[in-house]
Amino acid sequence: MGRFLLHRLLRALLAAWAIISVIFLLSRAGAQERPPASRLAEGSLSATTASPVQRRQAGQLQQRRLGLTGPLFYVSAAPAPAAGLGWRWHWNGRANQYHQWLRRLVHANLGVSFRDGQPVTLLLGQSLRYTLPLTVGAAVCSIGLVWLVAPHLGRPSWRRRFLLGLFFVVDAVPLFVVALLLLLLLANPDALAWFPAYGLGPEDAAAPWPVRLQALAYHLALPLLTLTLASLPALAVPLDAALRHELRADYVLTARAKGLPDSLVIRHHALRNALLPALTLLTELLPGLVAGSVVVELVYSLPGMGRLLAEAAAAHDYPVLLGGVLLIALVRLLGQLLADWLYTLADPRIRLPV
Amino acid sequence: MSRPFRSRPRRWWLALGWLLALLFAALLAPVLPLPYAPDTTDLTAIAEAPLTGSHWLGTDPLGRDLLAGLLFGARTALLVSLPAAALATLLGGLIGGIAGFWGNTGLRLPLSYAAAAAGTGLFLLGFHGSPTIVWAGASAVAAGLAGGVALLGRRGYRRTVAVPFDALALALMALLASIPLLVLVLALAALYPPSWPGLLAVLVLTYWPGPARLVRAEILRIRALPYIESGWALGLPAVRILWRHALPNCWHTLSATFPLSVATLIGLETTLSFLGVGLPPETASWGRLLAAARLAPTAWWLVLGPAAAIIGTTVALRQLAVREPAH
Repeated sequence: MGRFLLHRLLRALLAAWAIISVIFLLSRAGAQERPPASRLAEGSLSATTASPVQRRQAGQLQQRRLGLTGPLFYVSAAPAPAAGLGWRWHWNGRANQYHQWLRRLVHANLGVSFRDGQPVTLLLGQSLRYTLPLTVGAAVCSIGLVWLVAPHLGRPSWRRRFLLGLFFVVDAVPLFVVALLLLLLLANPDALAWFPAYGLGPEDAAAPWPVRLQALAYHLALPLLTLTLASLPALAVPLDAALRHELRADYVLTARAKGLPDSLVIRHHALRNALLPALTLLTELLPGLVAGSVVVELVYSLPGMGRLLAEAAAAHDYPVLLGGVLLIALVRLLGQLLADWLYTLADPRIRLPV
Repeated sequence: MSRPFRSRPRRWWLALGWLLALLFAALLAPVLPLPYAPDTTDLTAIAEAPLTGSHWLGTDPLGRDLLAGLLFGARTALLVSLPAAALATLLGGLIGGIAGFWGNTGLRLPLSYAAAAAGTGLFLLGFHGSPTIVWAGASAVAAGLAGGVALLGRRGYRRTVAVPFDALALALMALLASIPLLVLVLALAALYPPSWPGLLAVLVLTYWPGPARLVRAEILRIRALPYIESGWALGLPAVRILWRHALPNCWHTLSATFPLSVATLIGLETTLSFLGVGLPPETASWGRLLAAARLAPTAWWLVLGPAAAIIGTTVALRQLAVREPAH
């Protein structure tokens, strides 16, 4: 069991490290071709008043400060000189950007933002204060809701048809459209103004904590609803298929024959068996929620990690982007471990192969 | 597999009708007699409600016509999602087919050829100079390696090495699966200046594992069927068995999931445009229309128009892919 988990964890770690390295190298290669300094200075006052020499010097200084100078990787290849074939290879040793980045990463230093020079870890930490309650709350809510609707799944009824139809539509539509429509319907003075449309309200540090918690819950309600609604189909539709399969089994017939009501038959007998195929979905639930928060936090103007990531992507702020991607990859690893653990918990007969 | 058209439910026909209308709108958008061009601002009509002025469906806070934006947005959505879905399906089908058909040990190359190819590649990569010298050197290295391997041992020229295609393909898929698709696409699209080919490349290179998984599973099933066995017994070449006999049987799986891929890719394109990544800012897109709607929270028409277009299209595409249970 332990060895199996370790093996899987190592493989997943390797894959995550490889994809993040690829994104890092691509981003640094792009930053060398189109330096962030020149992009950021466009339109500022110094861009029009400084001489070309001054601007170039400022650009080089900026490059050096952000650590964008020097070779990218351990080896670098240049095309052979004119009229030749092949590449000239050069071994750069440890004085390359990738090595520096990796070393700092091991020390939990993700660099500084290209935009405002703040440490990325600080930015991520600040934004997690809002994203963590949001995503964990949405995960708990969606699992709870699936548990609530489970007795209506798996057997033909008008409720099941309605639920599956709703899930079909919600699953088909991109999340930001759902968020905008809910915003238009439930936070609109012209329609139903039940929820605040954006932000977290005024931060009142002097207020007692129940009041602050209440304010936070009031402002997070609509984003939470959106994320929950969006993550329900991925859990409920496979569970419905598994339940339909289980309800044909003989033990269900026995349970019915001894007079149990349908909801108890499902909750106590069929659900536990139907959960097994559905548990793997938990692996994707948490990272899916974090990915969903990219859109939801932007729509509802919450200062969370998703919005940080979306703004970093739009502004080509690569260190912040990489930090966010790294965090999401770690969340996925966590989800995978959790699903494996729950697997053995739900069915003790399972001995995972090494 | 193909049922008589009469037995299709009405919903299916509705979905097909919507998609055909969308296709026509996208194709004819540049020649339709629209009163306003898509990316021009009309400063006399800012955030105008539908049916109140000369703009039929109203305008956004910058005075851009909503109808033109919707029609040209349909064009963008199809121009991105259809080629991306087709290319990703093709790439995924090929990789999944090869990985499933040959597995880790099925495809064996003669060791001498492999050594010659590896030697040539290494020589070309590591040596630089004028073309004649390089090619002459590479040929000499290749011939030497091939001959050396063949002479090693009595029957060395028959020795073969397996190419682990399956492991390679699965490793690549695991690599791409370690981050949610939306975040991966967002990160990759942010690396390059916004452009149509760039977005297409990012979408194809991140979306192919889906079709590849399907085809791999399907080929693993088909490979064990008797008619493939008889193909081997007849002495048909492996490439021909794969291409003429195994892959065509994956067609119905791929064609059933193709609308789903298009729907997912339309969702990705509109989300990226909404976030301001991927396509140049002057390109009309449903996602960009919805982003403009955030500037005017009371302008319900700016949300409802593009949202109806996106919901209609993605739900219709899903409806096409629904398999009615056999009666």
